[in-house]
Amino acid sequence: MLTCEEYITPGSLNEAFAAMARHSGRYRIVAGATDTLPWARDGRAGDVNVPILIDISKIPELRALSVDDKRARIGAATPIQHFLDDPSLARALPCMPRCAVWFADDQIRAQATIGGNIVNASPAADATPCLLAHEATVELASARGQRILPLRDFVTGPNKTALAGDELLTGFECDALHGYGGSFEKVGHRRSLVISLVCLAVLVKLDAAGRRFEDVRLSIAGIGPLPLRLAEVEKSLRGGPLSAERLEQAADMPVALVASRTRQDYRRDVVRGFMLRGLINAARRAGADPDALAPELEAAYG
Amino acid sequence: MADLQFAATVNGRKVSRAAKPHQRLLDFIRDDLNLTGNKEGCGAGECGTCSVFVDGVLMKSCLMPVAKAQGASIETVEALAKTGELSVLQKAFHKAGASQCGYCIPGMVMAATAAIRINPFAGREEIKERLGGNICRCTGYQKIFDAVEMARDVLNGRLPATALAEVDAEAGDYIGKNVRRIDAPSKVSGALKYAGDMTMPGMLHVQVLRSPHPHARIVSIDVSEAEAMPGVEAIITSADVPGEDGFGVYVNDQPVMARGKVRYVGEAVAAVAAEDPLTAKRALEKIKVVYEPLPAVFDPDEAMRSGAPVLHDYAPDNITKHIPIRVGDLAKGFAESDLVIEENYSTQPIEHAYLEPEAGLAYLDHDGVVTILAPDQNVTHHRHMLARILARPISKIRLIMSPVGGGFGGKEDMIYQGMLALLAMKTRRPVRLVFTREESIVASAKRHPSRTTLRMGFARDGRIRAYEMTMICDGGAYGLSTEGVVRKAAILAAGPYVVPNLKIDTYGIYTNNTPSGAFRSFGALQSEFATESHLDIAAERLGLDPFEIRRINAMRDGAISHTKQKLGSVSLLRTLDALEEASGWEKGAPVSRGGGRSDLGRDDIRPSCALGARFAAAEKQEAAE
Repeated sequence: MLTCEEYITPGSLNEAFAAMARHSGRYRIVAGATDTLPWARDGRAGDVNVPILIDISKIPELRALSVDDKRARIGAATPIQHFLDDPSLARALPCMPRCAVWFADDQIRAQATIGGNIVNASPAADATPCLLAHEATVELASARGQRILPLRDFVTGPNKTALAGDELLTGFECDALHGYGGSFEKVGHRRSLVISLVCLAVLVKLDAAGRRFEDVRLSIAGIGPLPLRLAEVEKSLRGGPLSAERLEQAADMPVALVASRTRQDYRRDVVRGFMLRGLINAARRAGADPDALAPELEAAYG
Repeated sequence: MADLQFAATVNGRKVSRAAKPHQRLLDFIRDDLNLTGNKEGCGAGECGTCSVFVDGVLMKSCLMPVAKAQGASIETVEALAKTGELSVLQKAFHKAGASQCGYCIPGMVMAATAAIRINPFAGREEIKERLGGNICRCTGYQKIFDAVEMARDVLNGRLPATALAEVDAEAGDYIGKNVRRIDAPSKVSGALKYAGDMTMPGMLHVQVLRSPHPHARIVSIDVSEAEAMPGVEAIITSADVPGEDGFGVYVNDQPVMARGKVRYVGEAVAAVAAEDPLTAKRALEKIKVVYEPLPAVFDPDEAMRSGAPVLHDYAPDNITKHIPIRVGDLAKGFAESDLVIEENYSTQPIEHAYLEPEAGLAYLDHDGVVTILAPDQNVTHHRHMLARILARPISKIRLIMSPVGGGFGGKEDMIYQGMLALLAMKTRRPVRLVFTREESIVASAKRHPSRTTLRMGFARDGRIRAYEMTMICDGGAYGLSTEGVVRKAAILAAGPYVVPNLKIDTYGIYTNNTPSGAFRSFGALQSEFATESHLDIAAERLGLDPFEIRRINAMRDGAISHTKQKLGSVSLLRTLDALEEASGWEKGAPVSRGGGRSDLGRDDIRPSCALGARFAAAEKQEAAE
């Protein structure tokens, strides 16, 4: 079990920095705390005494949300459930509702935060590929000031980030992709409360006729130490038709990237299937002309 | 450790009191407010027995530091039937027969309440999705979903409230009749007290020190430092057992706590009773046990070889039990066979995973009777064993079976009751032990893992001519139910089929793995899995329908079983007919597979799981508008 001497809930960033300075080396930051409590149990960290817990989830800057035509700014303590429930967020980040519905369960999502999912830097984190596909940047703040990093440079390895000891992840800024179709494909051992074996975020924008890809964004996790953006595959699809041939070529491309520690053959099969399913689902949600999608692929993967 | 002043509204009432900074909302609700309707099934956010509303949003209170709920409005399951009248959802759970052991039900009712509040018209798929964070181990969920759909329709006006009226019990025999489930209202309301919900004045909390070694000699145990800690009332080890130490179902080979050596990881070595669980836990860290590791054996085949480490002196070959059965002339049977099939089968250990982890409360009553309240599936046997272990007359021992929050055989073994009795006797105070989920998995028995070699001979027309089976079951470190399990595995191995020539050998073997014990079907699953798989293989090879090969070999009324029992009636043929009809089975040899089969993908067959029912519902609604 987790024990602590004091549980501090700062009401502002400055209060948080002061508490961090005061208890330097003796604290742990929590937001939703849904990873921290199960971590301090037998079989994982066991009984852990953290002298000071600093709960940053009530800091207003970390809960702020704003969306305009081009960009969205998301506070790090935004609960995952908001991506399902807030229509303006859902429109700007079209793959996030699909990601959120696979994330833990309805109850944990109400408490677990987007910042916590990213900062834990699990190779299978569900939200990371979505935000990578949205070209997200992270805001890191400390008493020294603020810096901005691209998300791809922030997550540096399994459970490793560029966060400095005195810094907090306060929020994200990312592309608002209105008009895109989104999908999120995930597989684990069961439906709810499961860590991804593979997950794939897909964002698709089509031409006015709904027959060609104007933009495609793909990002995958669970197949290696880091979530990856699939830039080569995106390039191969951009400007092209929704033909079965194009989709199948694209689906084959990331198969070779599987570098996980276990179940590589299985993951290769999954990656190919997810690419087809994800592209078809996202294209359909982006308003694809029903005749433009290959019916045999749609029947098998849609 | 500075307490924090916690203020909130709980079930409509203002609460303000000191709380520990590390307390979870669940601890505060259950331990401090004594609202025990919501349970702790896992403590890790997996099971949903602890689901409560925080400011109207359903949350898992085992994942929430109490400080997070500062100032919030909290509703526990007790809020739903606050006036004493069950809520619509609770009535529907009762009416649909959705509660079995009842342990998941308070959380399940809360999740269902949340789902219908969010979408009063949610379809069954959406209900499933929204209840995805809550686990039930008894029902298979269908009656729960039936109940939620029924409540939804009463609440949204599609069904009259009278739909929830209790059905009158039907007169006459119980079988095939509607019978009132008298414990259901207390289960859906959360009023029913399981052992871990019960408290007594002056009660102490027990924690158990467990072995980190699979096989080791205990050189010494020093409890002096732990015993000196403030708040620690008593510590026991095997030295505290006054009588003949040893329990089991067939052989009393397991001491209440490890005696002389440990035989598996997780075996109890010492137990502490203290004023609160945390003090008891801290005391465990102060107990000094010196172990001398011994060679261990984890594979039953290796354990049977000469020279393997020996677990129990009485069984130098590590064989707990061997059950042989011989019928007819096996060599002749195989000689007469047109097709002989040999295959190896293996099954894995399985955890029962009842939602209620083991728990018990023990005290000495006014007459000095050691009284143990526990979800114990075998109270009479345990009472007899405890009389011998505690060296007390049986009239001075009482076991009260508390509601069992799921058992499935896993609560038949007396793995903690002895420690509770000893601590109640030593402290002369009530003592309570509640396992964590991790402790339950580490310490409780599993389904026997098995390895089976099966050779069967068939005539061309499908009749079984010969049957030869050897099955090795890993019984783990102690006997428990192993003898009965391997006996039943042998008796039922060849199934309800006529077999003229047969040779069966089943073995239960000691290893340094977690003990295996009783689990639904008690050995039959492992052996019949092999036999039934074999029949399917034979059907394919002989070009027969799998139902047909079973009918050809079926025992009929008056048959003599493989162990010479006359069977007055055999329902196999009727069962096969019913199964064939219900499954819509595509007739013929089982050679076609996958999407081409006519008996898959039907409306009445459950599809593979998907998510996003709420999107489909929203899209449908948009299209309609």
